[in-house]
Amino acid sequence: MISLLGIYRPGTTPLHRASAALKSALLLLTVVATMLVSDPVTSIGVMCACLLLLVSTAPPAKPTLRAMGIIMVVAVATVSFQLLRGDVSRAIDVAADLTAIAALALAVSCSTPMEAMLDLVSRIVRPFGRILPPETIGLMFALTLRAIPEAARIFIDARTAARARGLERDPRAVLIPGATRTVGFALQLGQALHARGISEEAKPERKPRLSREMRRKAKSQTAADAEATEGADLT
Amino acid sequence: MIEFKDAAVTAPDSGVSILEPTTLTLTEQRISIIGANGSGKSTLARLINGLVLPITGSVTVDGLDTVKDGAKVRRKVGYLFTDPTSQLIMPTAVEDVTLSLRRIIGNKNERTEAALTALEEIGLGGKGDVSVNALSGGQRQLLALAGVLAVTPEVIVADEPTTLLDLRWRAHVGALLRTLPLQVIEVTHDLDAASRAQRTIVIDSGTVAFDGDPAEAVKFYRDLMFGRPTRAADA
Repeated sequence: MISLLGIYRPGTTPLHRASAALKSALLLLTVVATMLVSDPVTSIGVMCACLLLLVSTAPPAKPTLRAMGIIMVVAVATVSFQLLRGDVSRAIDVAADLTAIAALALAVSCSTPMEAMLDLVSRIVRPFGRILPPETIGLMFALTLRAIPEAARIFIDARTAARARGLERDPRAVLIPGATRTVGFALQLGQALHARGISEEAKPERKPRLSREMRRKAKSQTAADAEATEGADLT
Repeated sequence: MIEFKDAAVTAPDSGVSILEPTTLTLTEQRISIIGANGSGKSTLARLINGLVLPITGSVTVDGLDTVKDGAKVRRKVGYLFTDPTSQLIMPTAVEDVTLSLRRIIGNKNERTEAALTALEEIGLGGKGDVSVNALSGGQRQLLALAGVLAVTPEVIVADEPTTLLDLRWRAHVGALLRTLPLQVIEVTHDLDAASRAQRTIVIDSGTVAFDGDPAEAVKFYRDLMFGRPTRAADA
């Protein structure tokens, strides 16, 4: 999973040229369609299309094959379960759906820079701008993706350290240092954002709210100014 | 000009003093800060960028108070961390520099162009689309520096920027910092690097133990560390 973040490769394929919004909509549509349609022939057709789209983006071979390999393991397990239940049609449908969604998600990741996704998230959440500024939500999205590989690395390190101390059977030896170091990383990341002035830029520039009394004064002042101007025009 | 006026820092929970009231005026182009682990040198450095705020006294950069004008101060003062991993947020090199530029360049294409130029200038040309996880430690530190320099700060505070680097990268990053046409304040354990500054500050137990000529400061620090009588003790 770690290698999947930063999988984007620049290119000129149709998917690279398509907007992040269009690709995300396509992904969402595919997910919904695969959930609604339970016909194995259709599912295989959708899977083939998604795999072709993935190949068209010329993804980096190693991380892509690794990711698809993991999906294949899940698909095989699901298919085995469905076959045990004697439902061959369902087994084909589920395996094809899983492969299709994974392939399309990878195709989108390979062809979309993070900044384009960040802009898209910021645009989507713009209507909720009064609660949280869109830039902040976009940043949260980027930070979440950034934190996943780091948290995984921290837990791998913690597991190695526990093994080195002969504590591989004790979950506390992995969970406690892993959790504390993850919190430490989060704090460091927060400080780095602060130091780079990024979080400050995300804050909305709100107009100062006027009290009722101040609004009333401003209104009467405007009326007085208008009267004065009219008077001046007459003279 | 950076001014500390009786700036002191205490631990928020315990109230233990981390930095005693300190008064300094930093005007030199190259300043190094040395001291033992836990002596308070990083706290002193973080005060300049407003990452740490003084409990008493004040710290100003060109007249801007780090408490009242934190965001403005951070636009003037870039900060480089020891571990660049915590400073890099986006998945690829060019996207990370672009993130820094979002606040000063509105147009996306111009932003990407500026980010690529920044990478080229720092010696990471051709690495723009490489995942930050695939970069070496030295390259990551260069990328972090590119992200800081891209927003044209007037001062750079570098907190042990070469500690995690091998000899070759240490020399490269050190040389790069020395040639920057702006004020550089470097916290370091590298006494050779410290002695190349115009002024060196030795921090010991939260106080400025020595402030002046780098060669004398390094001698003072060695004496302090190895228990030999120091000039301050003599006085």
